[in-house]
Amino acid sequence: MTLYKTISLAAFLICSVILTFHFIRLIRLGSPKDYSQKRGNLKSAISFSFTGAMNPREKESAYMHLPTYAAGLLYHTGTFICFALYFLFFFNVGIADSFHWIFIFVLIASGMSGLGIFIKRLTVIKLKHLSNPDDYISNFLVTGFQIFTLIALLNETYTPYYFIFAAVLFLYLPLGKLKHSLYFFAARYHLGFFYGWRGIWPLKSHGQIK
Amino acid sequence: MNNFNYKKNKALKVLTGQQDSKMVTYLNSCVHCGLCAESCMYYLTTKDERFIPTRKVDLISSVYQRYCTFTGKYFPKLTNARELDEKLTDEMVDQMFGACTLCGRCTKHCSIGIDIAYLVREGRKMLSEMGLVPSTLQSTVNAAIQTGNNMSIPAEEFTDTLAWLEDELKDEVNDPQASIPLNVPDVNILYTLNPREPKFFPLSISAMAKIFYAAKESWTLSTSMYDVTNYAYFTSNDNEANTIARRLYDEVLKLNAKRCVLAECGHGSRAFRWEGPNYLQKKYPFDVITSVELLAEYISQGKLKLDKEINKELITLHDPCNLVREGGVIDQQRYVLKHAASRFVEMTPFGTDNFCCGGGGGQLAMSEYNERRMKIAEIKADQIRKTGASVVVTPCHNCVDQLMQIDSKFKLGVQVKTLAEIVADAIILE
Repeated sequence: MTLYKTISLAAFLICSVILTFHFIRLIRLGSPKDYSQKRGNLKSAISFSFTGAMNPREKESAYMHLPTYAAGLLYHTGTFICFALYFLFFFNVGIADSFHWIFIFVLIASGMSGLGIFIKRLTVIKLKHLSNPDDYISNFLVTGFQIFTLIALLNETYTPYYFIFAAVLFLYLPLGKLKHSLYFFAARYHLGFFYGWRGIWPLKSHGQIK
Repeated sequence: MNNFNYKKNKALKVLTGQQDSKMVTYLNSCVHCGLCAESCMYYLTTKDERFIPTRKVDLISSVYQRYCTFTGKYFPKLTNARELDEKLTDEMVDQMFGACTLCGRCTKHCSIGIDIAYLVREGRKMLSEMGLVPSTLQSTVNAAIQTGNNMSIPAEEFTDTLAWLEDELKDEVNDPQASIPLNVPDVNILYTLNPREPKFFPLSISAMAKIFYAAKESWTLSTSMYDVTNYAYFTSNDNEANTIARRLYDEVLKLNAKRCVLAECGHGSRAFRWEGPNYLQKKYPFDVITSVELLAEYISQGKLKLDKEINKELITLHDPCNLVREGGVIDQQRYVLKHAASRFVEMTPFGTDNFCCGGGGGQLAMSEYNERRMKIAEIKADQIRKTGASVVVTPCHNCVDQLMQIDSKFKLGVQVKTLAEIVADAIILE
């Protein structure tokens, strides 16, 4: 194994171990113990939390900010693709030509979305006031990872830089807000649990008169 | 250890003494996207960035980061991790108590799914541990604990009011046997009241008494514990909330009522039905429902005969946050209005997306924030105005109070009524 792959693998393992610790802590702490009389269906509500409740029509944060929402969606799609490609690159698995070009186009779009979000955070006063260094670093690293993945797809000679950059991302991931890659799922679970227990989710209506 | 450090340690225990994974999840989830801003009435009406919900989350998570995470301990500037000092607690008091109605609107619309209202209550809990609850709000809790009701109504005054209302009821239904039963054991329903009712809005008690009479219900009021409210829910002092909830719990058991029916009070119904069992750490051995659900039940079972043509005015509905978005009573009040009123129009938005009246979260009790409270009420005033309705119905006495102030300030010219009043007006007695 090359040195840059070894460094990258070590960083990935460190990241995985720390995230696993976070995951175990979540499992150990468990769900809230609620003594009130349950009125809803938890399974349906938690499922709704990950599906219907994420529908842009249900969330002001989506339908009132459609360009940002679309950029965020693309950005996250690109990130998931990058993580999948990381393993393909690592194990030298070839990518079919058709997929190769699809990935390139998606990563161009997602990388631009990432840059757009970065610029927005730098320039929109409201967002600037909300932001801390971790917000900028996280965005920079993930967008950079996407750009390096794109470059590695286009030209294999840059692969060593790609793996080194990936290592930096992996080492940083558990330190700041990128942890939401794990906690997001727990947050949706808890929200589904809360609204499901009280019979609010899954929403049958917003309260239309019957 | 100085006094501040002692209090600080108590506050930090709120963050470290987690019973489940909920708090640690939410404190690690915010990505500062800022998309929650437009869901908050405080931000919408003032454009003050301090009021963006994520900033409120940040106040707590920055403390959590500083004391409970590796990054916050060793690289605090990276995540803006902050010491819990007097400057921060001042900010927390202002934003947790003075700039949040706990309406939960930001929670529903958060891009991640963080229960922001829950985190603000945890922030309030930290402040409560430090003795930093605004004295105006705390005095309401103290009144409830010391006198049994949050308005310190003496028992004699309460029973006199009920005696007068009972005479009125006899006249109205033309039946000398009609009554407002007090402290009767083994009944079907123990009914509760918001102390605002005997103090300022006795007609809502009459309305409910008339409904019980028409439905031939076996019910009672307790003269020793009738207060449905629990302002300790707003201060997040679980011990005091426990004391208040326990009194009502004990009263239901003492009178051996099958059901406890919670008066039209958003936070009160939430505090006893959903939070109460957790304050007491036990399941209730009796049924608890809100009066809104009971009214819907009576109508669907044919126990009430209503003529909706009696209520001819155009009616709109204000959804109390704790009852609807946070309590799941969404359709029942609409079902009731469909049968009790001939003309109805929804606000925009409504139901689980409705805006708070502005008086939630204990705001009505905290006079120091009156100006802000009436500023954010612009949104509700605008919502009401756009419906063209002449009557606003809301199943919450706290909301009634705020809506009446909104009506006065914004010159809306509307009447504000409870659901029971609308139903009582439409009853046809056989």
